[in-house]
Amino acid sequence: MTMMPTIPVTFRLNGMPQACMAKPETRLSEILRDHLGQSASKTACGIGRCGACTVLKDSVPVNACLVMAWQVGGSDIVSPEGLDAFPETRFIRQGLVEEAAFQCGYCAPGFVVALTALLRDNPHAGEADIRAALEGNLCRCTGYHSIIRGALRAAGLLQQAHQQAAQAGRPT
Amino acid sequence: MAEEPALSVLHPASLVDAVAMVRDEATGTRRYAAGATAIQLEWARGLAKPSALVDLGHIPGLAGITAEQGYLGIGASTPLASLVTDRRIRAASPLLAAAARTVAGPAVRNLGTIGGNVAGRTGCLLPPLLALNAELDIFGRNGPFREELADWLGRTADKADIITAIRLPAMTAECRWTQRKIGLRAAFTPSIIGVAGILDIDGDRILAARLAVGGGIVRPMRLRAVETSLAGQSLAACDWQKLRHDLFCAIEAPDDDFRSGRYRRTVAANALACGLAGALPKSAEMPGHHSPSAASSLAPPLPGEIRLAREEQQARWFTRPDLPPKVNGTFAYLTDHRAPDMLVGRILRAGVPHASILAIDTRAAEALPGVVAVVTHRDVPGENAFGIVVQDQPAFCGDKVRYVGDAVAAVAAIDAATAERALALIKVDYETLPVVTTPEQALADDAPAIHATGNLQRILHFSRGDIETGFAAAAHVVEDTYVTPRQMHGFMETEGGHARIEPDGSLAVFVGGQHGSRDRLQLSRILAMPEDRIRVVTSPTGGAFGGKDELTVQPALALLAIKSGRPVRLQLSRAESVLAGTKRNPMTIRMRTACDADGRLLAQEVDVLADAGAYASLGPGVLETALEHAGGPYVIDNVSTRGRLAYTNNGTCGAFRGFGANQMTYALECQMDRLAERCGLTPVEIRRRNLKPVGAPGYLGQDVAPSERLTEMLLAAETSPLWRQPRGLSADGTEIVGIGMAMNYQGNGLGSLVPDPAGGRLSLSGDGTIEAAYGLDEMGQGLLVTIQSAVSTELGCGRNDIRPVTGDTALAPESGSTTASRGTFVVWKSAQMAAPQFARAICEAAAGLLARNANDLRLAPGGIAERLSNSGDLLMTYTQLAAALPPEERPSVTVAYEFPKNSYTEGNARYIFAFGACLARVAVNRLTGQVRVLDLVQHTAAGPVMDVAAYLGQMEGGAVQGIGFTLSEDAVMKEGRYITANLDTYMLPGIADTPQTMRIHALGGLDAGDDFGPRGAGELGIGAVTPAIANAVADAIGYRPPMSPFSPEAVLDAMEAMP
Repeated sequence: MTMMPTIPVTFRLNGMPQACMAKPETRLSEILRDHLGQSASKTACGIGRCGACTVLKDSVPVNACLVMAWQVGGSDIVSPEGLDAFPETRFIRQGLVEEAAFQCGYCAPGFVVALTALLRDNPHAGEADIRAALEGNLCRCTGYHSIIRGALRAAGLLQQAHQQAAQAGRPT
Repeated sequence: MAEEPALSVLHPASLVDAVAMVRDEATGTRRYAAGATAIQLEWARGLAKPSALVDLGHIPGLAGITAEQGYLGIGASTPLASLVTDRRIRAASPLLAAAARTVAGPAVRNLGTIGGNVAGRTGCLLPPLLALNAELDIFGRNGPFREELADWLGRTADKADIITAIRLPAMTAECRWTQRKIGLRAAFTPSIIGVAGILDIDGDRILAARLAVGGGIVRPMRLRAVETSLAGQSLAACDWQKLRHDLFCAIEAPDDDFRSGRYRRTVAANALACGLAGALPKSAEMPGHHSPSAASSLAPPLPGEIRLAREEQQARWFTRPDLPPKVNGTFAYLTDHRAPDMLVGRILRAGVPHASILAIDTRAAEALPGVVAVVTHRDVPGENAFGIVVQDQPAFCGDKVRYVGDAVAAVAAIDAATAERALALIKVDYETLPVVTTPEQALADDAPAIHATGNLQRILHFSRGDIETGFAAAAHVVEDTYVTPRQMHGFMETEGGHARIEPDGSLAVFVGGQHGSRDRLQLSRILAMPEDRIRVVTSPTGGAFGGKDELTVQPALALLAIKSGRPVRLQLSRAESVLAGTKRNPMTIRMRTACDADGRLLAQEVDVLADAGAYASLGPGVLETALEHAGGPYVIDNVSTRGRLAYTNNGTCGAFRGFGANQMTYALECQMDRLAERCGLTPVEIRRRNLKPVGAPGYLGQDVAPSERLTEMLLAAETSPLWRQPRGLSADGTEIVGIGMAMNYQGNGLGSLVPDPAGGRLSLSGDGTIEAAYGLDEMGQGLLVTIQSAVSTELGCGRNDIRPVTGDTALAPESGSTTASRGTFVVWKSAQMAAPQFARAICEAAAGLLARNANDLRLAPGGIAERLSNSGDLLMTYTQLAAALPPEERPSVTVAYEFPKNSYTEGNARYIFAFGACLARVAVNRLTGQVRVLDLVQHTAAGPVMDVAAYLGQMEGGAVQGIGFTLSEDAVMKEGRYITANLDTYMLPGIADTPQTMRIHALGGLDAGDDFGPRGAGELGIGAVTPAIANAVADAIGYRPPMSPFSPEAVLDAMEAMP
């Protein structure tokens, strides 16, 4: 049997085509950090239980540590490095910074990905929606309230921007 | 050792092809995979990988949801997330949609499929699907067929069968349904047991019942006998108490290390009976929501106290400099560093809790292509021992291992896979030794010795007065034994970093820590290398909480870098971090406390037995701190305390936020409430009668610093609006709500006997920034923003003129450890000491260049200004000043001093304390015995608040860590092995566990003449959370849990026994 067989993995990462060789069971989290030098997403449990490695796969949040190389092929992946493409993310980052949402920050990129998906789908998300959307993301420093405040502030900023855009008659 | 066979993945295009791929012996251990989330958890638990995965993802016809003719058809590859959101499912089967919402977390639900959840036979959807009479569409070796789920579960499935769809009848409008998953925390939890129940009803008559349980280790099953007994009954006449009993008898559920079978059966019966009946029995007799009499005596809020919230503190709310890059994902942690020629390190752990090492053979590993260095104890040039207090822990074990996570060897290789394969090639011969699993066992006469010095690591005594006289005079005596858990720090960034040999041959180690110069000292001993040849960088780090205070991976990284001559990186996986990392010392605290008829404390006897684990680390300090807090903020004339710390083979323990004080406060503050009940006093009144007067000595008789704020904190607790919130039975009858409080009293600094150096440096750098250098660490607590705040305030310059430099022995002076709530003081004090001289030097340098008198100049935001000018006009910017000065003339002021301490020498006594009171409002679940914190209020007095957001963050974050300690966290061990391997069963609080509201207050002032500045906020947040919750539970149900995390089973039993 061949030792360490690898397969070609081709996908889109943050809008750009990517190709690399990896063992079929190599996790996307490892591909991002160690093969492609994208270190914003973190690995803090490796079994899909903390959310630190959250990325968007075909536009929905997934745990990159639960996605194996053989499942990545052909998919569209957005890592925290690629979130600038989403208009919501700017407001999310602003809201989180203004509310001093994080401390050590190791979980922050995963939270930002999860919140981007939430506010993209539901710009009117309230506290209950935010709490539900973040059930898969662990933070050990903050106790979560600063993150909830930041997310609510982000939602407010986003709604404000939508209103201003609507008044000005242009899309956001 | 055999090479792990390579995994391949097959991609059939049709069901027929797929079946052919797994149908016979020749296909080996091939398995179908869809989302493949569960299979990866199996691998993490050590189960073998299949020879191949057969990917069902590209087969047409497995996706899609249909709703027609009263049936829902759900394609097997439908993601779990779709079950929650799909309108057809929500309409036709709200039970299923609700149940799907409790499976895993949102991102996992985007990967996992309904087919996978069913096919695994342990999934959380099985009880609801059973109750819904689901059928499975299966494609087997003989083609498609349909089978009832219940039948399919009752037989061994053919491994070639593919579930293609789940079919279930739509729920009717004429039904009553319930579902619940009982877990280990509020959400994203393994299932303890899940239930689903449906009653088809016609008016008051039950036509049919379908009840099911299952999930996790509970075999999914319908409860047919109970269903039959319900059919035909009148809803109104139904005896729900009897139903509960019948269900309990009918449900089968095993024990495991987390919950008993009895608990599972009880809560499942409760959940089904209550869910279908709409309320629990006995509710009528329970007191409804009410407000206590304390509410009538509400006084105005505490003068001078502020609520910490952005909207109320706009002018003092600053953006911390590290936050934008953290949120943007561009912040560089030490474990993120990659370099082209960098090797990857891995550590071989003992894997056995107690054994002699007979031989270590690394030859095969060394011979593996791609391996560059292998190190063992034979490569340790200096003392093979480290430890902050006593050096009893080997860098690499040579003669014996004392816990499962002991390091035996390490490898550096060209990549992670090669390093891991090399580890597997290292052969270690062990001769197992008897395992010491409890401190009690450790101290028995015939216990196997873990260290040559014996198993009693430390014994401490303190007594004052005469407890016999005290107890003899008592009107009331309460005694209990409080047990606290092996809490895991759970920092999100696991231990790791990198190391390299610099061009000059010196060593640089970059690993998140809490005291770089002490790490350097310890490395110097191990490596027999002078300290000035070692640079240690410890910042930034992704959380620490005490768990990075001791050395972690530094010895392995340093030895690998030295031996390989190349840069090496190494980061522990979470599983390895659980295995190897320090935990909080579990304690058993027996406490006996006496008071007179008026509630005045007369005597207290305390006996603490603490588990050190295999090595002392800071355990002796933790024990000492626990004992120092045995009397809390109260005066007790007659006390006797004893503490023992015993070595065991239970992992290894050390520093953790609270450092023994929070464990002791749990015991003491519960005792206070017990005595209050005996005396007929309120919790506030009994505390008032015993509160330590201002200026009175501390527990050990030592002098303490001024600005004591105990009376104020008690007043704040007394007047808290929280007492006006409803308590008693909740509106839906399923919870009982109570309110409790506890006082908070936390010593700062390392104590009177321990060297506690502090210092810092201010200097003008070449680019014109004012460098504020501290050998402290940014672990998330807000060190950098605190430095900006303190230094700019002292100098008069702008916050952004300051460039903090921290956590690097090459760049920052000794400041002492970033522990023991001491960092904020050190930042402030150093700035205060260095600022006058530094400002003068800046002004003199500028005066020379401007041909002015230095006395007429001052530091302003951006540069130097006219002393009396308030225009903001600058005479010269700092950049201009720096550019105009040769490097040696740029001002630089270094200060060094000892953290404030008293002269007490009979024991290690703190001088500085911080104060607080914590209130909690909790809901005790009558079905599950689980406790939910609804509201948490912290009043704190820790001197001036240096940064509002950072202080708030410490209090909120500490509180939720305290909630974890109280309700869900314990790294359970059995025979010296961790039962908990990762965050799937170690229950850090999630967002669903955080209270609905948290309110944090600070009383910031100091007494006139008090020049000790800000007290520490780092540990105050966790200090009194546990007893506040325990006392709130007692307020709700009359039972005060003496063991944390609270046992839901014990809480249920207590409620069952309620009158």
